[in-house]
Formats: sequence, C-alpha cells, structure tokens
Amino acid sequence: MWRPYIGVVRKELIQFLRDKNALRMLFVMPVIQLLLLGYAIQTDVKKLWLDVYDADRTELSRQLIAALQAGDYFVVTDRQVQSERTPVWQLDERFKRGEAEMALIIPPGFAEQLSTNHPAHVGWVADGTDANAARIGIGYAGQILRKFSSDVTGMRPFVEIRSEFLYNPEGESRNFMVPGIVATLLTMITLMLTAMAIVRERELGTLEQVLVTPVTSFTLLFGKLTMFVMAAMLIMGLSLTVGILWFRVPFVGSPILLVVLSLLYLMTTLGVGMFISTITATQQQAMFYAWFFSIFTMLTSGYFTPVANMPIWLQRITLLNPMRYFIEIIRGIMMKGAGVADLSHDILALAVFGIVIFTFSTLRLGKRLA
Amino acid sequence: MRQIRFIAQKEIYHILRDVRSLVIIFVMPMLMTVLYGYAINMDIEHVPLAIVDQDQTAESRTLIERFYRSRYFFRAKAAPEYNDPEQVMRAAGAAAVLFIRPGFERAVQNKTDFELGLTIDGSETSQAAAVQGYASALLNEFLQDHLPPGTEVPGVRLSQQVLYNPDLQSSHFFVPGIVAIILLMISALLTSITIAREKETGTLEQLLTAPVTPIQLLIGKLLPYIGIAFIDGLLVIGFAKVLFAVPFVGSFWLLLVVELIYVTTALSIGILVSTGVATQQLAMQYALLLTMLPSVMLSGFIFAIKNMPVVLQMVSRIVPATYFLKVVRGIMLKGSGFEVLAAPAGFLLILQVVLLTIAVRRFRTRIG
Repeated sequence: MWRPYIGVVRKELIQFLRDKNALRMLFVMPVIQLLLLGYAIQTDVKKLWLDVYDADRTELSRQLIAALQAGDYFVVTDRQVQSERTPVWQLDERFKRGEAEMALIIPPGFAEQLSTNHPAHVGWVADGTDANAARIGIGYAGQILRKFSSDVTGMRPFVEIRSEFLYNPEGESRNFMVPGIVATLLTMITLMLTAMAIVRERELGTLEQVLVTPVTSFTLLFGKLTMFVMAAMLIMGLSLTVGILWFRVPFVGSPILLVVLSLLYLMTTLGVGMFISTITATQQQAMFYAWFFSIFTMLTSGYFTPVANMPIWLQRITLLNPMRYFIEIIRGIMMKGAGVADLSHDILALAVFGIVIFTFSTLRLGKRLA
Repeated sequence: MRQIRFIAQKEIYHILRDVRSLVIIFVMPMLMTVLYGYAINMDIEHVPLAIVDQDQTAESRTLIERFYRSRYFFRAKAAPEYNDPEQVMRAAGAAAVLFIRPGFERAVQNKTDFELGLTIDGSETSQAAAVQGYASALLNEFLQDHLPPGTEVPGVRLSQQVLYNPDLQSSHFFVPGIVAIILLMISALLTSITIAREKETGTLEQLLTAPVTPIQLLIGKLLPYIGIAFIDGLLVIGFAKVLFAVPFVGSFWLLLVVELIYVTTALSIGILVSTGVATQQLAMQYALLLTMLPSVMLSGFIFAIKNMPVVLQMVSRIVPATYFLKVVRGIMLKGSGFEVLAAPAGFLLILQVVLLTIAVRRFRTRIG
C-alpha cells in the first residue's frame, strides 16, 4: 500500500526538482510578491498634497497652515496666493494635472473673526477622484482644526475620549497586510499548481503512461497532492520568515496551530484545484479558472477591506468563501495570539469546507483518471 | 494583406471554439467590475461597537443612543459586563468597546472634566483610525447639543466641497482601474499564452512553412486580441455606468486613441514574454509577474504611488498602467482634455515605441 505511494512522491519530487525554471518561479515569485506588496500596500493615507490659498496672511493664518503641516498628513505645496480672489478655477487645473489633491482657502478677516471669539470659516476643497483619500483627508482636516480652535480660543470640551489600541498600537498597516498576503499566496499557488499539473499530464499524454503501471489512480493523486502540500508549506515558511525578519511583523500566537490550520485550509484549495482540473481540458482554461477563483476569493475575504464594509448581500456570499475564515485565523494567530477557543467558528467552517470539497473532488477526479 | 487576414481568421476560430475560455474572457471583466465596485469599499460604516454603561443615567443612555443611531456603529452582541475591555471585545465580537464609568451625567451637567475610555481593535488599521475619528465626532455633537440654543461657538469652521466625485463613491475610483487591468490581462496574458501554446505543441513551425512572413503572422495573431481588448474595455465602462453610475465626462475618442497605444504596449510585453519561454505555464507565470502584479500594485490602482519607497516609485514610472490610469481617470471623472493629458499619454507612447521595437525584433530573430 505504501510502496507505490512513496514511489509516486519520489517521482514527483524528482520531476519537481529537475525543472529549474519552474522551481525558481515557484520560490522567487512569493518573495518578490511579498516584498513588493509589503512596501506598496499602504492603506494609511499620508502626505496628501495640499494647496493653500491664504488671503488673510496673518500670524494666525500662518499658524493654521503650520498646524496642518505638523503631522504626516499633509504636504503643503508651495502656493500661497496673494490675491483675495477665489482661485477655484486654478484649482481645477491643478487637480486635473494631479499636482494637488486638496486645497485650503483662508478668506480675509480670518484672524479677526477668530480673535474676537467668532466662528471663522475656511474653505476646504478636495479632489474626490480617490474617494478614500478624500474622505480621510477631510477627516484629518476636521481633527486638526478642532484642536487648533481649542488651542487658540482656550475652550476645551470637558468630556473627552481617551482611545487605546489593542493588538497593533502603532497602527502599522503592514502587520495587518502581511498575514493576508501569506494567505493569498498559499491560496493562489496551491490552486494553480493542482489545477494545471493534472491537466498538463493529460494534455501531454503522460497520464496514461503512469496509469498503466500498477499504481492506482488514488495513489497517484495523493502522491501528487503530497508534493503540493510540501511545496505550499515551504512557501509559507519562506514568506513568513521574510515577513518576520524583514518587515518585523509580530507573531504572537502558536506557530504549530497555524501550521495545523493551514493544512486544514489546504484541503479546500487542493480540492478546488482538483475540481477545476476535472472541468477543463487545457492548461490555459485551468489557469483561467484557478486565477478567477483566486481573485474572487481574495476580494471577498476581507484581505483588502473589512467584510463589514461590504453590502449585506455580499457579506452573505462571503460566508461561502473559505479564505475569509483562513484570513481571520492567520491574522488572529499572528496579531492577537488567538487560540482554538477564539477561532472555533472559523475552524469549524474550514473543516466543513475542507472535508466536503476535498472528498467530492477526489472522488470525481479519481473516477475520471481510472 | 490576405495572409494577415487568414491568420487572423484562424486565430478567431481558435478563440471561438474554446467556449470555456471565451466565457472567462467576457464574464470575468463584468464580475470584476461588480466585485471591485462593491467589495473594495473603503467607506467604513456599521462597525460593531460594545458599550459598557456603568453610569446608567439618562445622559449616558442619550449618548449610547446617539452612537447606535449613527450609521457608523451598530450594537455588538450583548456581552457579560467584564471589567476588562479586551474580554468584552472578544466575547461580544466587537471592533471597539466604549466604557462609560460612573459619574458621566454629573460631569456633563456640572461641566467638569471627564474621560470616556474607548478601546479599539487595532488589527484592522484603517478601521481603527476611522472608529477613533467617528467616536470623537459623535461625542462632540452630543456636547454641542448641551449648549444653550443660539450659542455661537468660537473657533475655525470648515466648509468643504468635493470636486468630480461629490458623493465620494469608491467605485468611481476603481472602475477606470479595472479597465486598465482587464485590457492588460487580455492583451499581455492571452497573447503570450497563445504564442507559447503554438510553440509548445509544435504548430508554430507548421505556420512558418506557410507563405507568411513572421511579421504578418504576428499581426494576424494579435489583431483578434486587440479587438477583444477593445470590446472588454467598452463592456466594463458600460457596465460600470449602468451599475454604479460612474460618470464619463470627457472625450470618448481621446480615450480610444490612448487605449490603442496602451493595448499595443501590453501586446508587446506579451510577445516579449512568449519569445523567452518554452511552455504555457511559464508564459503565464512570467506574464503575471511582469504585468498583472506591477499593474495592480504599483500603478496607483488601489494604493497611492507617493506613499511607496522611492525605488518602487521609480518602478511605477515604467509601468504602462500608471500612465493609462491617469488618462482614464482624467477623461472619465474630471473631463480632462488633451492639454492636461499630453504628458502621461506621451510617456505611454514612448514606452510603446520602445517595447514594440524590441518585441518585434526579438520575435523576428527568435521565431523567424
């Protein structure tokens, strides 16, 4: 029983190690992706380009500009207009050229209003193209202006909120994104490998050759899957090492739990990969379907944006997305040190998906191969 | 001319016969539009919040009602009243816990200093920052309501105005990006695979023994994909207009011209990839690595280029999608004209000429 299995695993391993080009791709790609994504993905909005049209030109207006510049939120482009004319027509041009994203307009009489304890109005114009940046920028401006007002007028709200952040006190978006990237890498790679490998053997006609040997189709299948699981675990180890050593992402929880639950998750991705190979005839089709499935699961998993932000009907659909649970698991373990009890719902969901999809696909593919 | 037509015809038959790929080619763009439009919603609302009210007064209940009535928060499932916010958070499945300690009402009525404690789950960074902002804004409103009517609060007031996308719809930002990604996917990925497939199955030699020059072969093979790319691009724009009411303010013809430049640039990358690899699998992997990844991550599609490290910013300058995105967003959302878009379109043209020259040269020497 075991000998044919070990034989198949060895054959796969040799084949795998011989294809240097594919091997390089398989291991270099995740590292490149991780490095690229780790640097490129910055969900925090910073350094918005701010045009300032200061028609007041007083000590106070300059203080306001300085207050806006103080944080990491706004970079004031060098544009202090001397006239009192509303320069919105210029703004349009500047926004269209992408030279500014927001503009502050300080009307004349600003300082006088403020120092005589009246409300002083300032104008704030935002380029709404990037809706997210615009919304956050307006939020920052509001916060900074509130603080500026209470500093100048000496009036402070007597009830205040003291906020405290659990788990990721610096608000580092990388700590949040890197576990997500690892989960997506794991999904995409195992899915594509499984879907394409079997179709490839069928396309090249080598599948028949193996099946005339005394190896049963299930042994062949499990031998191949073992190979993919090993590759997946290696890639996960590699990308986690890069994440922890290079990006200094914390890992609070139990690595063993993560490995065990990743194996559970792989049952689903391998299962879907096998299923795709039963419904496609060429590698190109297999790749398309695998890729499409990956994108769909990625976007609805809460990897980019929280699931709670999506419309209700879409939130319901995400309940059917196995990756959603795995993302919660990997983030929970790495960032919060979550244990089995905290993750029981996710584990249960993954187990159900894994067992159903894996059994169904193995039976279907096994029958096809035999 | 005739040869090119025949090759193109042959390629079209190939495409039409492969129904499963065809479905993906036309369904995928629309599904991606729906997904990006709905799933990538950065507008954070309906955050589960648990409030532990130890004050139990009329004022504290008014505050709680104000929090839950806003669209920002909803009541997380009831949790035993632990004293530790982290325990409450875990038990209630909340993203934030607000603690109102005893003495809140007295402080509000006597206007004495008081602090509310807000504990936020920081693991979802953007949500955490938003929660903090919402809470302080809601509290501010609550306190303003306690001032005698007609009181003029001194301080700076903000009157805001948003241009081009006044409702701040995320979909308006993403849809032009999807056009860029889909065009690239069709042009670079499909062409690299189709040429690699002919190489892998050995049919390329057969074609070359026919009386066609390599260039005719190349043009004939690529023309159908240019057609598909254009249809897909229009499909996404039309679909987005219907579904998300994404505006189209600028010149349609200008967009088509720039689109042609962009598509041929992407095709060149596809040719380059296919000349360098032997199998479809590798062609796909290289095409993904060289086109999809940088175009999704480094072009400003989702993440702002200026927040990236300098090295990546330089890389983003040689990514065609960076320029195309500027043009599509400019035309669709802002109605920018040629005078504004000349610079990005010009850069795109330079990239196209360089890449196309290299690609054709390589194809001629490698294949011909």
